[in-house]
Parts: sequence; C-alpha cells; structure tokens
Amino acid sequence: MRTGSAQPPVRAAAAPRTGPVPHEPVAPRRVPGSWAERLAPFVLIAPTALVILALRLYPLLLGVNFSFTGDGERNGTAVGLDNYRELIGDPLFRTALSNVGLLVALLPIAVAIPGLLATFIYLRVPGHRLYRSVYFFPAVLSPVIIGAIFNLLLAFDGPLNAVLGGLGISPVDWLGDPDIAIFAVVGVHVWATFGMALVVFLAGFATLDPALLDAARVDGASLPRVIWHVIIPSLARTIQFVFVTTMIGMLTSMFGLLFVMTSGGPEGSTYLPEYYIWTQQGQMNRPALASAASTVLFVIMLVVGLLQVTLLQRAGKDD
Amino acid sequence: MKVRTGWSALLVTALTLAGCGSASGPGATNSGGSADRLVVWDWKSGEPSAKAYVEKAKADFARKHPDVTVEFVAQPFDQYYTLLGAAIQSGKGPDVMLFNGGGQIRDRVDALVPLDGYLAEDRGRLAGWDAFSKDGKTYAGPVTLQGHPIYYNKALYRKAGLDPAAPPGSWDEFLADCNAVTKAGADCIALGNKEGAGIQFWLSALGSATLTAQEYDDWIAGKRDWRSPHVRQIFDLWKQAGDKGLNSDGANSTAMFNDSFAHFQSGKAAHVIGLMSDVGHWKDFNEFLTPGELGVMAAPTVTTGVTPSMPFDGGIGYGVAKATKNPQVAADLVRSLTSTDALKAFFTEAGAIAADTTIDVSDGGPAVATIVAGIKTGKPALHVALSSKTLDLMGRLSQQLLSGSITVDQVVQQLAASDKTA
Repeated sequence: MRTGSAQPPVRAAAAPRTGPVPHEPVAPRRVPGSWAERLAPFVLIAPTALVILALRLYPLLLGVNFSFTGDGERNGTAVGLDNYRELIGDPLFRTALSNVGLLVALLPIAVAIPGLLATFIYLRVPGHRLYRSVYFFPAVLSPVIIGAIFNLLLAFDGPLNAVLGGLGISPVDWLGDPDIAIFAVVGVHVWATFGMALVVFLAGFATLDPALLDAARVDGASLPRVIWHVIIPSLARTIQFVFVTTMIGMLTSMFGLLFVMTSGGPEGSTYLPEYYIWTQQGQMNRPALASAASTVLFVIMLVVGLLQVTLLQRAGKDD
Repeated sequence: MKVRTGWSALLVTALTLAGCGSASGPGATNSGGSADRLVVWDWKSGEPSAKAYVEKAKADFARKHPDVTVEFVAQPFDQYYTLLGAAIQSGKGPDVMLFNGGGQIRDRVDALVPLDGYLAEDRGRLAGWDAFSKDGKTYAGPVTLQGHPIYYNKALYRKAGLDPAAPPGSWDEFLADCNAVTKAGADCIALGNKEGAGIQFWLSALGSATLTAQEYDDWIAGKRDWRSPHVRQIFDLWKQAGDKGLNSDGANSTAMFNDSFAHFQSGKAAHVIGLMSDVGHWKDFNEFLTPGELGVMAAPTVTTGVTPSMPFDGGIGYGVAKATKNPQVAADLVRSLTSTDALKAFFTEAGAIAADTTIDVSDGGPAVATIVAGIKTGKPALHVALSSKTLDLMGRLSQQLLSGSITVDQVVQQLAASDKTA
C-alpha cells in the first residue's frame, strides 16, 4: 500500500485531462421538481467521488500521516520530520531526484524522435507502411521482456559490444558504467514507448491541412523548413500532449525496466524515486521512510500535474 | 432510478469497506489463518524440487495435528519481503513464514514469536541457529545451511598446468595460479556484482583467511573494528582483484544470479565463490562440470598464522508470527518442516545442504563432501552479521571500488559509519 501511494496523485492530477467532471449549472431557484430529480446528479457522481475518496485520497492521507511515524523500534510513534531529514541526507535519494531532473531534461529528445519518425511516415518515405507497424511493435511488449532482451544485447560480452569490437571500438559497459547506465535505460525506455507517441503524432498529422504543405512545396521550401514552419506550428497541440504524456510515462513507468536492467545500479546511479520507495519498503523494511519518499514523489507529481493542466488550458485558449 | 441508486449505494458501500479493510494500521492482530488452519508463506513450495520436502513435512504435521489444515502460499522471491512486510503491517500476515537468515529476519523479529521453548529438542540435531537469533532469542527453525565455499574447476587447473589436487594455500599462490589460468585463456574468478552481492560473498569467503580468530569472533558478536588493517585488507584485495584483471569482464553489469555462475559452470572461469544451497551450488555445478571436475577449496591464507574456515549460517528457516492464534501448533509445524525425513528429501531433490547434520551426503560427490566436512569447523559468515542497510551500501561501494571512483579508506570509513547507526 505504501508503495502504491505514489500512484494515486498521478492519476488524480491527470483526471482533468481524461474525464472532465460534469458541472451542471444549477439555477438558484428552479421550479421545484421531485426529490429524486434533484438528488440524481449527486447520486450519479457519488460512486466516482466515493471511490476516489475512499480508495485514493484516504489511503493517500494515511500514507502521508504514516510518513511522520518511525520504523523498526520506533514503529507507530510520531517522529516529526525525521524521515524527511533522513531523505535529504541520503545521497541515494538525492541521486534519485537528480535523475528525475535528468529525465525532464531528456524529454525533448524523447518527443523529437517519434515526431520526426511520424513526419517521415506522413511524408511517405519508401516503406512507410512497414515502418508504421514496426515502430509500434515495441509498445506492446512488457517492460520486463524488453529489459531482459536489452540485458542480453547490452551485456559486456553481448552482441552490441561485439559489433563495436568489429569496428575497432573498445567495448562499453553499457549497464555497468555509472555515467552511461542511466542513458542506456532511458534510451531503452524511449525505444519501448515511442510507438504510442508516434500513433498520437500520426493522428495529429491527419488533421494537418495538406494544402499548406503543397503551398510550401510550390514555394520551393526544403524539408527542414517545411518541418519548422509548417508542420511544427500546425501540430502544436499534439506536441504539447505528447510532451505531457511522455513525461508522465518517464516518471511513473520506468520501474520495470530499472528493476530488470540495473536494479538501481551501478553504484546507485540509476535510482529513481519509485525504485527507492520500493527498496526502502521491501528490502530495508523501512515502510515509514518509504512513505516519506512517496510523499515527496507525490508533491513532485502534483507540480508536474498542475503544470500540465495549465499547459493544456493555455493550448485550449489558442483555438 | 431507485433500483440503480440502490445498486450504486451497495457498490459504494462495498468498495468503501474494502478500502477500510486494507488500510488498517499497524498493531492489527488478525492473521491469515484461524485456529484450525495455518497459512504458510514461502518462495520454495512451488518449486518441483521442494515437492517431496513439503509433502514429507505435511505428512509429519498431519500425524501430530490431524485436525489442522495447512495451506502453503508460494510467493515470488523478488517480491517476497515486500509482500510480507505489507501483509504484516496490515495484520494479514501468515502464521508461519520462511525467512533468509541474518538481516532479513532480524529486521522483523518484532512480528515473530521467540521459539526457544518450542524447539529446544531440535537444538542439537540442527545447525545454523545463529542466523535466526537476535539478542539471545531464536526466531526460526533452520531448514538449510547457506555458506560460501570457493569452487574451482579442476579441468581448467589441468589446462593451466596446475595440480587440481593442490589448490593454492596462500594469497600469493592464488595470484600465481590465477596468472597461469589467465594465460590458459580463462578468467580466474567469475564475478557478478550487479546486485552488489559479489562483495558480500568475497567478504565472507576471505574473512576467515584474513581476520584473526579474535577479530572474527568479535565481528560476529557485533564488536566490529572497521579500523583494523585486516578488515581494510579484505576490501583492498577486492580492489586488487579488479585492478589485476582476475575477475570476469563487466562484473558490475553481470548478475550474480545466474550469469556469473553460468560463466563458471560453462568452464570460462576457474573459480567462483558460490553458495551451498538453492542456486549456484555444488549440485548445479556438478551437472555441468561433472562431480569429478568440481573442487571446493579453503580460502587462500592472506594473514599468516590464521586458519581459514568455511563461512556458513542458517540459510532459510521457518518462523512463527506473533499474530498467530496458537503458537504451539504453529511451532509444531516448524518442527515438522525441519524434521530429518523432510530435510533429507530437500537435500536429495534440491541439493540444499540441510540444517540437519545427521543426513548422509556421501553419494553427492567430492565437492559436497568437502563442504559438509567444513561445516564442523565452520563459522558464521561475516556479511550475514551486517544489517541490510549496510549491505546495500557495501554493494554500491564495492561497485565504486571496481570502477575506481572511491578509495579503500573511504569505503571502510563509510561502512563503519553505516554499521554504527544500524
């Protein structure tokens, strides 16, 4: 439960995007109808509201409350901010947070790759039909399987290093070098998930006015110029949407890959908050400390979620 | 409309109740079983090789308590302690549960019943109690012994021009032999340190060859002197082995389970610090290297004058939850799970070195005979005495030592600090 408490905030924050709550304008003085009719909206909302309240917000509050208690011998006693102090002092948690920063910094690349590939497919490069399905293929694989595949490919004596060796390049310890491992894992994550973003981009292209492209071609614009001046502005909303979903994907669903590929290593360099929470709760038997870390992750996700809402609202106003 | 409202109200109530149930705070005491039903959690009973063991134990228990049913729940090992921790926390834990010896059980003794009174009769028959004890109380009955023999490949020794009957006795001889092995085209040590477990095995395997007997006993007793030059030397040798290229390539990205063991059993490395039970043990290696080519050697002496011993502890053992209805019945189940018949089946089927020292192992080959002979003079493994927090830190520091981003002195200093607070 403690580990799980990292999840609800994400979904809760994402709710405005997927399911707007029906907000019925209620006139202050209406013709008095039957009780049933007046109660109907509340009854209809009740299941959702209560489920969110009982299964999401209440456990979340319990988790936050739990983060102010101690572990082990101090189990159940209030310890104030001790857990948070310990988190700040733990270099491992700091690494986990800075890796979150790194993920955010790598976001443009993670968005640019599917965007570019979708552009090529849209512009009908030879074999574009094949690529469309091939690109999507990794998105249907589970992270564990992908992790296992790349563990083999990226092993020190694995095929990738064999290829590099054939080119005269000395082998790279992809998953054993603390400066490289996080990029290897993020790279694999991007490979594994860009198919979904690609589909979103293709959907975005479907709304693109071909007349604009034709006009640009007639004017003799080069491909980079077409992309920069026609495609990107027309797809602004799609790009924003992909940005937000990719960010959420990176921050919340890398656990499986990390677990299989690096177990947070080498030297703790690939820790992310989720993995840290899992380790503290399950391996170190520190559920309260894990709750504190979950709370920190929740706050981060809350900020990300609010930014996302603002961003989408602003995008909506552009129309 | 009314009908629908009724349904949703029912649904909401049910969901709310479910939510409340799972969120009961610490201190709840309802356990998984009832008075006539015991729930056992482990990660073993689902494996085919443990089938005979579980059946024998169940039969033994059924003789004593025919009216009590026993339900085994096999959990995935990766998730075991996460699930167990959550289950105990919410008061839904099992009655009897399997533990690894050392930190994993010591961290959780506040949820367990001291078993000294119940298991007194088994004290002499079984070995490995220390790993399941804390502050003089025993919290589990040992099932297997776990230790860290140094296995070597006799065929590679011959290939390198070495005498397979005379493994190196000192660290210098070991280095010389490694040199010969490397020249013959194999790695000297198969090392997997991705999980940071390699250093734990190293510490325990070389500990008795480096620390004096007094230092060793003090370490186990909790009086660990991290400033001792001998302690420092163990980590220094770890770094040296890395720097001198004795280890298999990419140790920090190689999983110990089971890539490094696979490396050894496929004849690509001459030595591996393995296990006695479960995996990476004599039975696995026998299958690939044949019993005749698998040797077990004592640790090469590092400090002159010390006598190396086999590092071993209780490997896995069953404990009883405080929340159980009838600790006596649950403890009887633990006794059945550690009975000679059951353990003999476990040894035969899974190759686990059983905690019962009266079991005959003579048909298992020379390696297992050496291991069992070593148990008589063996001592608890050094790393098992450390907390899981310190072990986790040691794993990361050991990776840094191999990559050269930290000094041995810094490592010892950080470990000392962590050990103090643990």
